[in-house]
Amino acid sequence: MTIAEQTAPTAAAGKSSGGGGLGRYILVRFLLIIPTVFILVTLVFFLMRVVGDPISASVGGRLTPDQLAARLAEAGYDRPVMVQYFEYIGQIFTGDFGRTLTDNREISEILVTYGTGTLELVFFSLVVALAVGIPLGRFAAYRRDQIPDAALRIFAILCYATPVFFAALLLKLVFSVWLGWFPLGGRASTQTQLVLDRISGSTGINIIDALRTGRWDLISDVLSHAVLPAVALGLLTAGVFLRLVRTNLIGTLSMDYVDAARSRGVREGRLLRKHAYKPALIPIITVMGMQIALMLGGAILTETAFGWRGLGFQLAQYLGARDFVAVQGIVALLAVIVALTNFAVDVIAALIDPRVRY
Amino acid sequence: MATTGQRRRAFSAVGLTATLALVLASCAETENIDGGGSDGEDGGGSISVGTTDVVTSLDPAGSYDNGSFSVQNQVYPFLMNTPYGSPDVEPDIAESAEFTEPTEYTVTLKEGLTFANGNELTSSDVKFTFDRQLEIADPNGPSSLLYNLESVEAPDDLTVVFTLASEDDQTFPQILSSPVGPIVDEDVFSPTELTSSEDIVEGNAFAGQYAITDYTENELIRYQAFEDYNGLLEAPETDVVTAQYFTEETQLKLAVQEGDIDLAYRNLSPTDLGDLREDENVTVHDGPGGEIRYITFDFNSQPFGADTEDADEEQALAVRQAAANLLDREALSEEIYQGTYTPLYSYVPEGLTGAVEPLLEMYGDGEGGPDAEAAAAALEEAGVETPVELNLQYSPDHYGNSSDEEYAMIESQLEADGLFDVNLQSTLWDTYNAERVEGVYPAYQLGWFPDYSDADNYLSPFFQEDNFLANGYSNTEVQETILEQTSTADEAERTALIEEAQEMVAEDLSTLPYLQGAQVAVSANDITGVTLDASFKFRYASLTR
Repeated sequence: MTIAEQTAPTAAAGKSSGGGGLGRYILVRFLLIIPTVFILVTLVFFLMRVVGDPISASVGGRLTPDQLAARLAEAGYDRPVMVQYFEYIGQIFTGDFGRTLTDNREISEILVTYGTGTLELVFFSLVVALAVGIPLGRFAAYRRDQIPDAALRIFAILCYATPVFFAALLLKLVFSVWLGWFPLGGRASTQTQLVLDRISGSTGINIIDALRTGRWDLISDVLSHAVLPAVALGLLTAGVFLRLVRTNLIGTLSMDYVDAARSRGVREGRLLRKHAYKPALIPIITVMGMQIALMLGGAILTETAFGWRGLGFQLAQYLGARDFVAVQGIVALLAVIVALTNFAVDVIAALIDPRVRY
Repeated sequence: MATTGQRRRAFSAVGLTATLALVLASCAETENIDGGGSDGEDGGGSISVGTTDVVTSLDPAGSYDNGSFSVQNQVYPFLMNTPYGSPDVEPDIAESAEFTEPTEYTVTLKEGLTFANGNELTSSDVKFTFDRQLEIADPNGPSSLLYNLESVEAPDDLTVVFTLASEDDQTFPQILSSPVGPIVDEDVFSPTELTSSEDIVEGNAFAGQYAITDYTENELIRYQAFEDYNGLLEAPETDVVTAQYFTEETQLKLAVQEGDIDLAYRNLSPTDLGDLREDENVTVHDGPGGEIRYITFDFNSQPFGADTEDADEEQALAVRQAAANLLDREALSEEIYQGTYTPLYSYVPEGLTGAVEPLLEMYGDGEGGPDAEAAAAALEEAGVETPVELNLQYSPDHYGNSSDEEYAMIESQLEADGLFDVNLQSTLWDTYNAERVEGVYPAYQLGWFPDYSDADNYLSPFFQEDNFLANGYSNTEVQETILEQTSTADEAERTALIEEAQEMVAEDLSTLPYLQGAQVAVSANDITGVTLDASFKFRYASLTR
């Protein structure tokens, strides 16, 4: 039997089972979103009831015990926890996330109003992470085991080891307070926000709305407010990307096909840029899903540190007020976002690398 | 001809350059941003105010917090209100307000009142306002303040008759100036459920000194002077005020220091305020505040309390007296709070009608300082052996970040002369509030912010039967005196009763007040009209440049 005859049946077998394998893989990944979100919502539901209720938190110190009990009964907080739980789950399945307890706002409205803020922050942070992590990782691989490589590895460790709130405070201190280069916090200045809020069809994403106005003063104001928060949150992930790109690039540089190219006389620089670089980026895609989840978690601290009014900031506010309906709703949404993001990443990874499906 | 690689490099260079330009441009100062209201420009006739308050609702039926009430004070009309510099209420949009029967309080509105949307403001709106408060009775709302209101009638367009359950309730006029008092437009607000802030702003349902033209909850509010305001207070000195909401005290402090805002009000930390007092570019304004801090004694579980093995009323009183003699309020005020809280020697804080200082005269060195000898004498006279073991509880998360230091200092003050052996413990608020009413804590921290600027709000909730303290204290004579003052119309007589009640409670020491929160605002040097009075309402309308 020739090599072609030996390989042909294998290829045919692979071709006939690949479509079904991918389809089943995608279906399983999608269905896993449901129990993931369900478990998280359940955990949050019970944990929030352990820490107290919003009525006691706000007026507990000025009502008689009977008055407080009456208010709790009126709000239904004195019912058995399981009764409240099944009622809440039932509402979730009908798409009713309820209203916040402390400021009586629809959860869906909260999610839309503040979700755009978090989306904007995560986008800017991802840009920083990719813009910093990938080129530096590539450079570190190119200068493997030299001083620049060592310095960059230390830099990477510092990036993902430094608590994001500490990085945020440090950046504010240096660049806002001492140097005065950037604003202290917020998504935009008061006047800019007033203008953007009045745009017809405002998206809630300040940079998009500013670009739509075509006004450079608004665009630069929005960007200036975004720099420090994006750097604080983005560097967290940039360190991971830097190490990943470096490691993968060094790995692909030692592959046989690269040796073959080198033996054909391809220069080292071209090897790095053309032959080894792109395959080294593939793991970035798979890691990105997890990093986005970490970014959403880090966004809570970043938004709080910079007064960036997104979902993370609101979540912290509602936690302090023991508004468990609001916390449940926001956490549920964040869980869905993370689950969907990871699903998308898994699908892309499976499309790029068929080995992932099996 | 350029190769593929050369084209890619060219595109990369262009992309990098564009990105760099964007980043560099973001460092540039932004200018010529017009954020003006309907008139297009704010120009120089505007003032910006910064705060860390949190607004929960513009609907008066759905909020009972400082942040929300601060906004409502600027934009809604009240039947009764406090003039600048006084804690006592007078008719605001009312022409007259008086008891026409012992249980009937009749208010006559001024003629020609309107809302900013052009709707007439009549007695129908007033009746609607209070009916919906009781109908909605939101858990977060202030409807509990209408405990004495039985019904509201509007016999004609200008007349409103409130029927009360108890006679001659002298606190009712004050309640009409409180968070339950803002009058709302019946054509905009729902009668049965809370109305969203967006609908309220869109409906322009305002008739106070200002109307709101732009509203982004807890981010910014733009106020525009309402030209047809016809109330007790004067027309605003400044046409436009923009309120910016900060998330951190530090940001607020830096914003006023850098001139990004003209005035900062609530809340600045003692440390930040101390720094600002040294800054020549800003002016710090102080005024009396309504918040009080006090220690509550549980009469059942405190040393020698009713439920203890060695229960003895006299000895229990001696323990409370000793604590009252040992407390150094000046030290707490200066070292912990740097003057943002001032010494309090009374149950009714300074600035309110009827406030006296019996604790200053009866305990300590007579000048506000501690007196260890007096404390020792009180204990010895009652036959109490020292040191007295005292469990002292506080909440680290409900009354601000300085509670740890505050109670550490109180502990050291009580132990300084060996008269007490204090076991200081902290409990998070949710558990704390549940356990305190069960008598778990012999002595514990509490704070209070008034519902309205009247002495009764510092007496009835604390010392009447079924009070919220639930600390086992009951003195019939005190209760009768407090009840009597609530229905005494003659001002002098009522004041005398209030003073008497304070002195009686000072003898019993159910609670031991020690600090009164000050109102503090920090402004640019060219801002005037900052009024911080015992109404505890900070009104923007008096601000000017």
